[in-house]
Amino acid sequence: MRVLLIEDEIRLAENVAGSLRESAGYAVDVSHDGEQGLFLAESNPYDLVLLDLMLPLMSGVEVLKAIRAAGQHSPVLVLTARDEKDSIIDLLNAGADDYLTKPFDLGELLARCKALIRRGKGRSSPLMKIGDLEINTANHLVRRAGDNVPLTAMEYRVLEYLAHRANAVVSKTELLEHLYDYNWEKFSNVIEVYVSGLRRKLNDGSSRQLIQTLRGQGYILQG
Amino acid sequence: MKGRSIQKRLLLAVVISQVLLALGLTCAGVLYTRRRVMASLDESLRAHATSIAALVRFPEDGSKRLLFDQSLAPKSIDGVHSDVYRVSARALGMVGQSPGWPQDFPTSCKLQNGFFSVAFRGVPYRVLCLAEVPMLDREEDQPTYALDVFYAAPNWTLRSEERAAGLYIALASLLLMSGTTALAWWGIRRSLLPLQHLADQASRISALNWEFHNPPEVELTDELRPLTTAMKTMLQRLEKSFSQQREFLGNAAHELKTPVAILKSTLQRLIQKPRSSAEYETGILQALEDMDRLEKLLHSMLRLARAEQWANGRLKRNLSTIDIASTCEAAIERLRTVAEKNGNEVQFTCERHIALPADPEDLETVWANLLENAIRYSPRESRIGVHVGLNGNDHAKVVVEDHGEGISQSDLHRIFERFHRADASRARDTGQFGLGLAISRALVEAYGGNIRAESELGRGTRMIVELPLSPE
Repeated sequence: MRVLLIEDEIRLAENVAGSLRESAGYAVDVSHDGEQGLFLAESNPYDLVLLDLMLPLMSGVEVLKAIRAAGQHSPVLVLTARDEKDSIIDLLNAGADDYLTKPFDLGELLARCKALIRRGKGRSSPLMKIGDLEINTANHLVRRAGDNVPLTAMEYRVLEYLAHRANAVVSKTELLEHLYDYNWEKFSNVIEVYVSGLRRKLNDGSSRQLIQTLRGQGYILQG
Repeated sequence: MKGRSIQKRLLLAVVISQVLLALGLTCAGVLYTRRRVMASLDESLRAHATSIAALVRFPEDGSKRLLFDQSLAPKSIDGVHSDVYRVSARALGMVGQSPGWPQDFPTSCKLQNGFFSVAFRGVPYRVLCLAEVPMLDREEDQPTYALDVFYAAPNWTLRSEERAAGLYIALASLLLMSGTTALAWWGIRRSLLPLQHLADQASRISALNWEFHNPPEVELTDELRPLTTAMKTMLQRLEKSFSQQREFLGNAAHELKTPVAILKSTLQRLIQKPRSSAEYETGILQALEDMDRLEKLLHSMLRLARAEQWANGRLKRNLSTIDIASTCEAAIERLRTVAEKNGNEVQFTCERHIALPADPEDLETVWANLLENAIRYSPRESRIGVHVGLNGNDHAKVVVEDHGEGISQSDLHRIFERFHRADASRARDTGQFGLGLAISRALVEAYGGNIRAESELGRGTRMIVELPLSPE
């Protein structure tokens, strides 16, 4: 999953981004001002946008409205130091999906991020079932036919994304866009390495391939 | 202290003045009555005395004596008590007297001609002495005699008349007084009613409701207008300072949230998963850094609050006289490393040494804040000027000048506001809280001085501080 964090307090941004990367395994892009944040939000398909309100150059509310006006449907979680009811109502009405008031709890922030991403993909349960494959998005545990499948962090991220888009063709570019932040060099053969690793681990003891490759098009996860 | 009622005091004044008026009226009435009674009595006395004199005649036989015809004597003046009279001729002695003439009646006339009062056996008498009254009866062969008439009438009526008049006027006054006092009571109550309305309105004012509705009857009362005007100005001042305090508190709480959020997130991230001791150390050091920032913010806010308290309260502090230039040099020294890091040269010029009573730490803080701003907005390798001089005879003038990007006119008057950040385009990384200039202004104002900024976009900014040489 790829998340955009727009926050001008550099230290706070570092902590939030670090935590999202470490604990949730998200790719996080960070912007310290509203204009750059809006540019990133409009040019990348983020799975979630974390938005501070007091931003240089362009306020968070303006960024939010511009994102929604551009037809972006990424869930937006607003981080605000204000907790007056009126401003919260205005925010939700302007297209925000949720809000957290500073100082917030990192654990709560992570849980809300996961919930928002889930809902953004049209799900409400943290447990995803595709055939005999079970993916728990809360604790990142994967089981196939009741057996635990140990995955590396990157393999899990690839699988989770494919699972969210189950029964649809996902191109390598789409995977790259959602799994890496813009600081990474994007080489598509990296994906191939992870997918082949996933196939090997998931098929351990089973003959049916869950992930199929459509040559020239991408991958498809089918139950 | 014993409570005083304006209403009662006014009423007391009215009653006292009315009682005095009534007393005066009664006295005047009594005096007037006395004059009238006396005048009419004197008139009667004169008429009676003259008629007594007219009753003296010569005898038919031509003998040399005078006759007094008692039977023709007029009735007594008051018609009840008999008068006393006596008529005598100079050459012949007593000619006639009233029938019941008391031998020991004081007959000596004090005046040749005139009235006087005398008491005899407890009875007040009014006496008329007439001297040398010519005889009415004339005979050709008789000499003319000059007659002396002494006529006294008991003056019973005077006292009763006086008493009646006094009583009448006094009673009438009392009757009128009860009416006028009631009227005054009503009038006083009515005219003091606006005070009650004013108090009602004033009691509605609270920290949540500053609105003061002046009741119309209060507005129309001349005497209350200065009071209501003063109240309005006082309320406006109070509301302003109260809302400033509340705003400050709100701002402060809001500003505290961010450093707290940073510190909290640093610590939470540290315990999110097991880490190596080196990672823990880095994390703790970071938390300490975040803590320092929080501490700096708290320190700045306290400093501002204290400075504003000085400025508002004009607290008298014991200040020794210090040299402005030395505080400037100290501030420049304090920021030397920051300036060098940015490649800025700070040029200090001192027109003359100026001494004034101040706390050197306060002034140093002001110059350091101004310099810190100047360095922040100065391009690399540019010059920053600090200049000390006189403005007129009674003000020191300190100018801190940079050649940075300048401040737009719309921002110029806002830079001294608390928590105002001039550079909205930069992310917050330098631990700036937007309190430096607010603190500087409060400190300068605490010394009775003023601070202002002049700026030209693209050319630079001049911060000008003027301090009075002696606090007034």
